[in-house]
Amino acid sequence: MTVLLDVHDMTRQFGGLVAVNHVSLHVNEGEIFGLIGPNGAGKTTLFNLMTGLTPPTSGKLSHRGQVITGLAPHAIARRGIARTFQNVRLFGNQTALQNVLIAQHIHGKSGMLASVLGTKRARSEAREAHERAMDLLKLTGLTYHQDSEARNLAYGDQRRLELARALALRPNLLLLDEPAAGLNPAEKRSLSDFIRRIRQEFALTILLIEHHVPLVMGLCDRVAVLNFGELIALGNPADVQHDPAVIEAYLGA
Amino acid sequence: MVAMVLAATLALSLYLPLMSGQLSLATPGFYAIGGYVAAILSTKVIHVTGPYPIPLILGEMILAGAGCGVLAVLIGVPALRLRGVYLALATIAFVEIVRVLSLTVEFTGGAIGIFNIPQPFVTANGIEYLLIALPMLICAALFVYRLERIGVGRALVAIREDELAADAVGINPTRYKVLSFAMGAMLAGAVGALSAHFLNTWNARQGTFDASIAVLAFVLIGGSRSFVGPIVGAMVLTALPEGLRAVAGIGELPVWLATLLRDGRVIIYGLLIVICTLNFPQGLIAPRQPVRKAVKSS
Repeated sequence: MTVLLDVHDMTRQFGGLVAVNHVSLHVNEGEIFGLIGPNGAGKTTLFNLMTGLTPPTSGKLSHRGQVITGLAPHAIARRGIARTFQNVRLFGNQTALQNVLIAQHIHGKSGMLASVLGTKRARSEAREAHERAMDLLKLTGLTYHQDSEARNLAYGDQRRLELARALALRPNLLLLDEPAAGLNPAEKRSLSDFIRRIRQEFALTILLIEHHVPLVMGLCDRVAVLNFGELIALGNPADVQHDPAVIEAYLGA
Repeated sequence: MVAMVLAATLALSLYLPLMSGQLSLATPGFYAIGGYVAAILSTKVIHVTGPYPIPLILGEMILAGAGCGVLAVLIGVPALRLRGVYLALATIAFVEIVRVLSLTVEFTGGAIGIFNIPQPFVTANGIEYLLIALPMLICAALFVYRLERIGVGRALVAIREDELAADAVGINPTRYKVLSFAMGAMLAGAVGALSAHFLNTWNARQGTFDASIAVLAFVLIGGSRSFVGPIVGAMVLTALPEGLRAVAGIGELPVWLATLLRDGRVIIYGLLIVICTLNFPQGLIAPRQPVRKAVKSS
């Protein structure tokens, strides 16, 4: 097994608050890795550190053996690390299709001038991008909504659109911040299958933050538990579930 | 007519940075610089007898545009770290710096400016300038039209919508903001170069804060979400003072009203901005809403 993402001794302080405290973990290629913990445990901060949105106070982050600490978010995204946000962040006034097309932009090879002039190559590239975007919308079940503005979509559709947009980056690592939040029970059940399916289809490694315990336990190969910024357990779901430190963190016993 | 076309092109130069959500009022500054480039070249460097050759004007426009583009990148990298109204303030400061510099530096002719800029055409009203100005506007408009439909334009819009999310999908916000700022500056510089010939004289009054507001009014009133808006806004508002002057000349109006109509251009622009932002927040030319398809419940 090769390590895809290596978090080494990362810390992030906000003023006096230590949101992430000397956390070390690695994500193996091809696995589905769950990140759980009570509210305020630092899960989203850890995601932000991994995607460059928040610079670390100390520590080292490497992707495929290369140190990427301190790279800008767009540079990290170009390495194939895509994410969704806990509070969906779409381009609200743009249509669903445009949202996906925007994320495909980084794969465009034609220069600006060629695209403006509409050279043959630029045109065929635009056509391919459009087809790929339509495929992703189909995959996420949004074909009928392709021309709806993102902000007018139902909440569940917005979450799926954000997923389609992340997939448009052609990532190797996908970070999902609470993908099941706000979904109804039926949607939650189909989400597991969907995540497994996209892992298969796109050869993805998936790292997800989730509160919905059955989802995490049924889906993840390994689970890490954060509490007050510290990593308190790491292992396969069954072991972690029975770890006394985890039980204490959740029940406060 | 020529003034209308030039104003429309200037409005597009403000619209370009706005595509990426950057409210830059630097257009008149680059316009002034472009004008000085043309004025100095054609009066002090190149000496031609008879009508001034049009290819030389085109050359000046390209040179002015390129110069302004380079300058815009130099200014843009630090300035575009500012957001919203702070960026607007910084760009107003830039316009002021250009104005004060051109008043004090010697080669711009100080307060008098540069006059007797050679003309390529013989008629007095210069309507032939349309031969250059109109193709320039059409090219600029076509460029923006295409830009909105390709990846780069989408990247700009993404930054306008949500800079952080754009960053997270691999778009370098600084790079694209500087790009849109520089494209606007190049266009403004080229318009300035042409205007210098058209107006025959060039001085520090060409690029002022008033001009910033006027160009902003073009865009706000016309509509800032599609490239047609700024063009229409600029043409209407440039023609407006002439129209008002004609109305004021009717003679039966009270003196204060006639004076307002004749000289109160800035007041009327201001009023129009207020009225339009209240009643047409998207501008007179709002983009078509995409036709909603019947949504199948599935």
